[in-house]
Amino acid sequence: MTDILLSTFLLSVVLLGMHSFYGIEVIKRGIIFTDLAIGQMAAVGAAISILFFDGEYLFPLSLVFALFGGSLIAFASKRANSHEAFIGLVYAFGLSGVFILLSKSYHGMETFQKLMASDILFTPLEEILKTAVIYAVLGLFLLLVYGKTAGVVRDFIFFVTFALTVTISVRLAGVLVVFALLVGPALIALKVQKGIPLINAWIIGVIINLVSIIVSYNFDFPTGYTLVFFHALLALGVSVAPVGRSKEIRPGT
Amino acid sequence: MNKFIWIFLLFVAMVAQSAMARPLRVVASYPYIGDLVEKIGGRNVHVVSLARGDYNPHVIIPRPSFIARVRNADLLVISGAQLEIGWMPPILRQANNPSVQPGEKGFLDLSRYVTLIDVPASVSREQGDIHPEGNPHFYLDPYNIPLLAKAITEKLCEIDPSDASYYRSNLDEFVRQWNEKLKEWKEKMRPLERVAVVEYHKIYDYFLRRFGLPIVGTVEPLPGIPPTSKHIEHLESILESHRAQFILQDVYNPDDASRHLANKLGMKLIVLPHDVGAVRGVDDIFSLFDEIVRRLTQ
Repeated sequence: MTDILLSTFLLSVVLLGMHSFYGIEVIKRGIIFTDLAIGQMAAVGAAISILFFDGEYLFPLSLVFALFGGSLIAFASKRANSHEAFIGLVYAFGLSGVFILLSKSYHGMETFQKLMASDILFTPLEEILKTAVIYAVLGLFLLLVYGKTAGVVRDFIFFVTFALTVTISVRLAGVLVVFALLVGPALIALKVQKGIPLINAWIIGVIINLVSIIVSYNFDFPTGYTLVFFHALLALGVSVAPVGRSKEIRPGT
Repeated sequence: MNKFIWIFLLFVAMVAQSAMARPLRVVASYPYIGDLVEKIGGRNVHVVSLARGDYNPHVIIPRPSFIARVRNADLLVISGAQLEIGWMPPILRQANNPSVQPGEKGFLDLSRYVTLIDVPASVSREQGDIHPEGNPHFYLDPYNIPLLAKAITEKLCEIDPSDASYYRSNLDEFVRQWNEKLKEWKEKMRPLERVAVVEYHKIYDYFLRRFGLPIVGTVEPLPGIPPTSKHIEHLESILESHRAQFILQDVYNPDDASRHLANKLGMKLIVLPHDVGAVRGVDDIFSLFDEIVRRLTQ
């Protein structure tokens, strides 16, 4: 079993590496649910692929819809004052769209569940390594380019790469795990007084991932839910604690 | 020197003996299969069932132990006909146990041993791999159970031929008891012949066909799709001309639509178990059908 647990742990670390960056950004920007909204738009792409193309072109269609959702939110976060409401509506739009589309497909819901039932336990090692390479390249790109940009270009880079990573990650680990890895460690890291938030998020996240996977194995809990549980529990605990630099976590910076 | 060789040979024989005596490790996808394997395999098998009997059989949440169990299994028995399609393939892949892969000696697909209903007349190529093989809930026809028990017996004999007579005598005893029960259930179900019913999901079709209860419609518009208002309206209009007496509901789907229909049209809503462990008291394959018959006839 060690091989499965090791690759699960590896995947959780790869996802954490990429999503901590976005987590800190979305918390600062006050657009946390962008992740769920983009993930749901990617699911609309998947549903269209099932309904009209029998599951072909699943990834490109998901990506197109994720990018569309991402650009909508990028646009709205500049224009609308109530962009959280807007993000919530993008999510609701995507979720209801999936159900409407699949209500016309015989066995569509089962197929959809089969394709979407991505569990962190089930990702083959090759997929994990492939994703690690993609995220390393993307991370390097962000490190070199993102900090030097500003305004519209910066937002464009942010939302396009975010949509891409959400689409890739959700396919591997499911919506909820990606969300927990995105905001859990980032929220704790922003509370820590010392060091660089991104590095702190990585360290904290790796520890939580390791503990979750060991607990999940020893008690035979569903692994994905255990990860989500511990990330949420710790982030909630730290947020309630009366210390930290919470002033910096104001939306709209 | 000879003495040592004899002692060594004795030791080898003992090790071989204990290896042979190790129970066969069998993994069943559903509890009803686990129960059948236990009834046939008896003391020679150690059986675990992955899915729980009170959950939706189409969906399960995987746990780390599922992979470990399939990895260490000598035999994997599935229901088949795509009932496990949503969850078994990744477990099989991650378990990476070559001896229980489809087509291997340690793999048994029970759907191959019965005749499936609702098989589409033609499957167009455009449907890709999503074409249904037919209704997968075949094990709810009690007349199919002896066929499944026989398939399990043959498989156990193939894997462990040294104890074939033990498995066959267990099968004979099981079939004898089952035939007794079949007479009883048939007798009890006789008054319900030609009593029309509505189902939530197409799960009891095999049972209802067997005992002659016509199915007027389903609460779901399509398998796995939650009821829509238009479909319920359509179903109500059908029920005006074709009176149905019961609405049959499984234990895991929401029953609000069925309840609404039952209240509005004066039908009786009956919740039926669909697997071993689905409701309290259903702890083996005999009590599963006892309970279905009891709930329908009381």
